[in-house]
Amino acid sequence: MNSEQQNATLRKMAQLMRDGLKTQTEPFPETEKEFAAILEELRRLDPGDLEGKMVISGFVDHPYGPDRQRCMECMYYLVHRQWCDLPELAVPVEADWWCRLWRI
Amino acid sequence: MANLLWLQGGACSGNTMSFLNAEEPSACDLVTDFGINVLWHPSLGLELGENLQKMLLALTSGQMPLDIFVFEGTVVNAPNGTGEWNRFAGRPMRDWVTDLCKVANFVVAVGDCATWGGIPATAPNPTESEGLQFLKRDHGGYLGKDFKSKAGLPVINIPGCPAHPDWITQIVVAVATGRGGELSLDEFQRPKTFFTSFTQTGCTRNMHFAYKVSATEFGQRKGCLFYDLGCRGPMTHSPCNRILWNRQSSKTRAGMPCMGCTEPEFPFFDLAPGTVFKTQTVMGVPKDMPTGVDKTGYIKLTAAAKAASPRWAEEDIFVV
Ligand code: SF4
Ligand code: SF4
Ligand code: SF4
Repeated sequence: MNSEQQNATLRKMAQLMRDGLKTQTEPFPETEKEFAAILEELRRLDPGDLEGKMVISGFVDHPYGPDRQRCMECMYYLVHRQWCDLPELAVPVEADWWCRLWRI
Repeated sequence: MANLLWLQGGACSGNTMSFLNAEEPSACDLVTDFGINVLWHPSLGLELGENLQKMLLALTSGQMPLDIFVFEGTVVNAPNGTGEWNRFAGRPMRDWVTDLCKVANFVVAVGDCATWGGIPATAPNPTESEGLQFLKRDHGGYLGKDFKSKAGLPVINIPGCPAHPDWITQIVVAVATGRGGELSLDEFQRPKTFFTSFTQTGCTRNMHFAYKVSATEFGQRKGCLFYDLGCRGPMTHSPCNRILWNRQSSKTRAGMPCMGCTEPEFPFFDLAPGTVFKTQTVMGVPKDMPTGVDKTGYIKLTAAAKAASPRWAEEDIFVV
């Protein structure tokens, strides 16, 4: 994805969330087992199904929960590329967003 | 000449394979340059049948001195504590082990099976396997925790699945050349010279560990394998990134996580599905933290490290 496409995708995702896209923020995967089940669901999607990815992984456009978790601390977040490097997602993200695949 | 006898209990021969790959010194150099007389070894021994039995009896009776007894594999106790499932030279192997350990100057356990039971002793442990002086983390094992060989040392444990050839040859040479008494052992009776630092010491991905950049697939040329792929490098005592494998590389350098094979709990989580090559987390936070780091500190450190990470840390920089 070149930077033009990346920016466009980022804007599209932000717009979807602003428009109130309902995503599955709960339940948070407690262990590897639940985490793996979500990844399995994501793998069944068409890799281009942006909305599907966002719904299943529970995207929100703000920090989440009492610990104010966000992409910024998540191990999959690449700060400079503003990118979620989880292979099943592989989407641009903002540091202040969050999804339930968050791992530190 | 120092007499060395190498026997195998419940084992896959992996440590023998590793030993035969030794380069400096090689298995042959041990004989020609260091005066080690290999009395018998499962892959190198010449004696068969009654002749082998005679030699073993000469050793256990004290007729022939035994300087170094190397044991590879578990002590098999099944069925019902008899050891009959692993017979050797006319009797259960465990009976030979008992008698040979009484007469040996030094006893060296090579590989995880002989040290702490390894994979065979993993639940449900159908072969009733144990290591020579440990069963996993419990001190005791087959010989009991008070066992000392004639030279006054407990079993010298060289763990690994398999152990690196240099760990084996260097310890054998030290013992054969009369420096065995100088070996300093850790709480699991591992030679400190090899098992004080961590697998992580010398890993080429250390900067990615520091900047919290994760590898998300095997063999990736960026990122550290701790965060997602279950690398146990920060918790595992081994010199794998100081004394390289095949003099070339290591698991973590090549993009495969360390599985912690030199620690008594290996294989971790009794190999339950989903526990291998995946960092175990509870609510997104690693279950096993690097030695000496607590959770709160870890979360703070993550935020700071990510914020400070340089651009290059996110790019492929290795040509391994
Ligand atoms: S996995 Fe979720 S929380 Fe982590 S960087 Fe990707 S989108 Fe953000
Ligand atoms: S890959 Fe493993 S050994 Fe290397 S720095 Fe990361 S955690 Fe440490
Ligand atoms: S890198 Fe880890 S699993 Fe591999 S040999 Fe070394 S200690 Fe064992």
